[in-house]
Amino acid sequence: MKKLFTNIKNFFKKLFKKEVNTEVVQSTHPVRKQYELNDIPQELFSLAHQDESIHDTKFETKPVSFIKDAMHRFAKNKASVVAAILIAIISLFAIIEPIVDPKNKVQSSLGFQDTYYSEVLPSLGDATRGSGFWDGSKKVEVRQDQYDFMRFTDAKRPIISKFIKKEHIVVDSKFVHLREEYDLYTVRQDSYAMVGCQNINAQTQEQIDAIKQYEIEKGVTILKPIVDVEGYINRFASENGLSVTSTIVNNLKLIYNNRPYNYAYYEIVPKKNDNGDFISGTAQVVIDENDNCVPIYLQDSNGDLVYQKDDGNGTYTIRVDYYEYFTYMHGFEPAYIFGATGNGQDICLKLAKGIRFSLMLGIGISLINFIIGLVYGAISGYYGGVADLIMERVTDIISTIPTIIIMTVCSIQFTNNVSLKASIGATGVLILSFLVAFVYNGWVGVASTTRMQFYRFKGQEYVLASRTLGAKDGRLIFKHILPNAAGTLVTSCVLMVPSVIFSESSLSFLGIVDFTFSGISSVGALLDEGQKYLSSAPHMVLFPAIVISILMISFNLLGNGLRDAFNTSLRGSED
Amino acid sequence: MIFTFVVIFIICFCLVRLLPISQAAGPGKDPENFYLRMVALGRMQVDKTSATGYSEVPVIQQFWSFIKNLFAPATYIDSDGVTQTLSRWGYSYSESKAMPPDELLWERVPPTILLNVYSMIVSVPIGIGLGIFMALQKNKWPDHVLSVVVMLVISVPSFIYAFLLQYLFCYVFNWPYSTIANGTNWLSPEMFVSMILPILSMSFGSIAGYARYTRAELTEVLTSDFMLLARTKGLSRAQATVRHAFRNSLVPIFPMLLGEILGLLSGSMIIEKIFAVPGVGALYLTSILMRDYDLFQFLSMFYISIGLVGGLIVDISYGIVDPRIRMGGGKQ
Repeated sequence: MKKLFTNIKNFFKKLFKKEVNTEVVQSTHPVRKQYELNDIPQELFSLAHQDESIHDTKFETKPVSFIKDAMHRFAKNKASVVAAILIAIISLFAIIEPIVDPKNKVQSSLGFQDTYYSEVLPSLGDATRGSGFWDGSKKVEVRQDQYDFMRFTDAKRPIISKFIKKEHIVVDSKFVHLREEYDLYTVRQDSYAMVGCQNINAQTQEQIDAIKQYEIEKGVTILKPIVDVEGYINRFASENGLSVTSTIVNNLKLIYNNRPYNYAYYEIVPKKNDNGDFISGTAQVVIDENDNCVPIYLQDSNGDLVYQKDDGNGTYTIRVDYYEYFTYMHGFEPAYIFGATGNGQDICLKLAKGIRFSLMLGIGISLINFIIGLVYGAISGYYGGVADLIMERVTDIISTIPTIIIMTVCSIQFTNNVSLKASIGATGVLILSFLVAFVYNGWVGVASTTRMQFYRFKGQEYVLASRTLGAKDGRLIFKHILPNAAGTLVTSCVLMVPSVIFSESSLSFLGIVDFTFSGISSVGALLDEGQKYLSSAPHMVLFPAIVISILMISFNLLGNGLRDAFNTSLRGSED
Repeated sequence: MIFTFVVIFIICFCLVRLLPISQAAGPGKDPENFYLRMVALGRMQVDKTSATGYSEVPVIQQFWSFIKNLFAPATYIDSDGVTQTLSRWGYSYSESKAMPPDELLWERVPPTILLNVYSMIVSVPIGIGLGIFMALQKNKWPDHVLSVVVMLVISVPSFIYAFLLQYLFCYVFNWPYSTIANGTNWLSPEMFVSMILPILSMSFGSIAGYARYTRAELTEVLTSDFMLLARTKGLSRAQATVRHAFRNSLVPIFPMLLGEILGLLSGSMIIEKIFAVPGVGALYLTSILMRDYDLFQFLSMFYISIGLVGGLIVDISYGIVDPRIRMGGGKQ
């Protein structure tokens, strides 16, 4: 046997050398002079490869593995690289934000929440205050009476963060006999300062003392004099000869009790019509001769201002500058980078948590689906025949039932299951129903892709060769066929992530999954909440919408880039 | 397909019937008649031991009564002593009175169909036109720009467009219809105007989808050999493109369009929610949120059958559009 081998080797060597020699004669013709073929001088001949053996030399270049080749092609696709970077940034944001954000450390059952700051606009805090850019203010055009309301506040922070202009407007219509003259003020209204001063109930004497201590230490004013709305309303009623229960008085009381004027510490009266009667439900600030408002602070018998009012059961009501009080309570200033929701929750924090949840869900479910689909598709594709037929019918049935039905059934069943809820909690129930609903038919796509790939490769000669050499089914599947299909499968897995995120946000947007009483948030739920405030606070929808759009675009770009990268037939096509 | 449908129906039936009865959408409004109907439908039995006086029968038994009632609706005597015929598909309780789900569905179909038809009228010509343009301009700058735009538009979820349009038009430009107009006069001009925003937000995605698909198909056909033959024969580029390339590229596109026509019946829940369209999608959403199980089950089967029949139509129409494709492999 060995002899035979050497013989063959020698034969090839001879053959090869001969070829090389002829080539030397024909191609490299060192002397320009024409010779007859027979009288070429001896010295022009030399032995090729005399000093080296020519077989089995090492490659001088580095070998390129499949992954390296794919990465090389991926790096050339600029859009995919940018998409990958964007995804990385968003993921980092989702991971780091909840760790860094002090709001996340506030102890509360459903996360940080402050209803006074509901709907406040995005602000970067002190850095941008008064600049008009990202400072929690919005430009408003108001007439004199509204302007008066914004002018006066006894809190530290002015409501008008920036005065832009004052115009005198004259409307003179010739068709209708109407002549109107008014001043129009254009100002930036600080949504944080709108909270102003607020009454805080049920404070013990120790708590009040602690606040006073803090005031002295930091040199700030938190406690403000109590406002005597009740007394003023009664005085207003008796001065104008109105009953305390009349509509006008009641409406005036409502104005003091409800937003946006519940921070008012000054006299407010209803407007008067041409006959001198009050118009119920309207309001204007009483201005004295010095162009100031008239405060209605509560005074004790000595005529001093009262800073704490006894509630009756050993606790007190205090009135605080809410901005400072917030800082005192939590240790950080109220600044919502992306604004606040209608419940006064931080959109930035909720968004980060929502993305974290979406990404974890997307990646986790994609992996599970990938594994299930791979095994299922491999079996049905490799064995074919009856097994394939039956398995195809099963996937047919499974894929036809929409996710939404399973999601609904799961969330209702799991939520009603008391023992399940007790053992894994509301959050666990939610995640479990997502898991069941998305895994239920998510793997069908992967399975059909795998099956197709198996059909493509299982009949090829190299598989037959391996089988002839005695390879078992498992080896054929995992060592020979699967690596060839890896590119397509990885791409389908990556592309599944955005589809899961999209379905998750759609379902939570529709309200089919209720996030209210679970500790987690979702981008879809944020969008759903923001939609109610679209007219007044578009920022609530803006930031979640931007983030989810970027996420979807990036994942699609990344998926396309990976598809091209793993497509070996594109190798070298663009070099 | 019928086998698949039956299996899915049984699965859905069992899943839905196993859900606990919701008080709000169940006996809440009219308990007396509710229990009378439930007993007549064979879903509950008089049971003195339970708190309500009635208990549910096993699901298998319920299935049998359902099948019986489906083909031969029974009668029952309501609380006023009037004999009533039972509805074949059970009752929806989320509306003010008990309504058969099928009647409710037909009430809600017109706005959905209209919306989808308008959206299709807008998106199909623009989408296919864009696709053709992109394919003809292949690898030139208009194609590159449009490809990027199409990629972006496809990726962004449709509710983002809905928000964007609603905010821009209604709150910035003061367009009066932030949601769809009131009333049931679906063909009135006012209704059409109020439908523009939902139509637009539904169309963006489909336009991009059609454009991408058409471009892919047409570029493939344009490079095939018969195009070369057509040009060699003496046809101009336009003639060759329209008569040969475009018609061949329609082979996969046309069945897709046919499939969509059946899909007109099923409304988009998201768009119908945002624009408050009283359509099928909104009804489905209500049935889920109100836990109105009979309606939920009926609509689920409605959506599933649309999907199944749509798939069948697509498969069959392939053979009609392109005679080279044969289904089932007859003896040839």
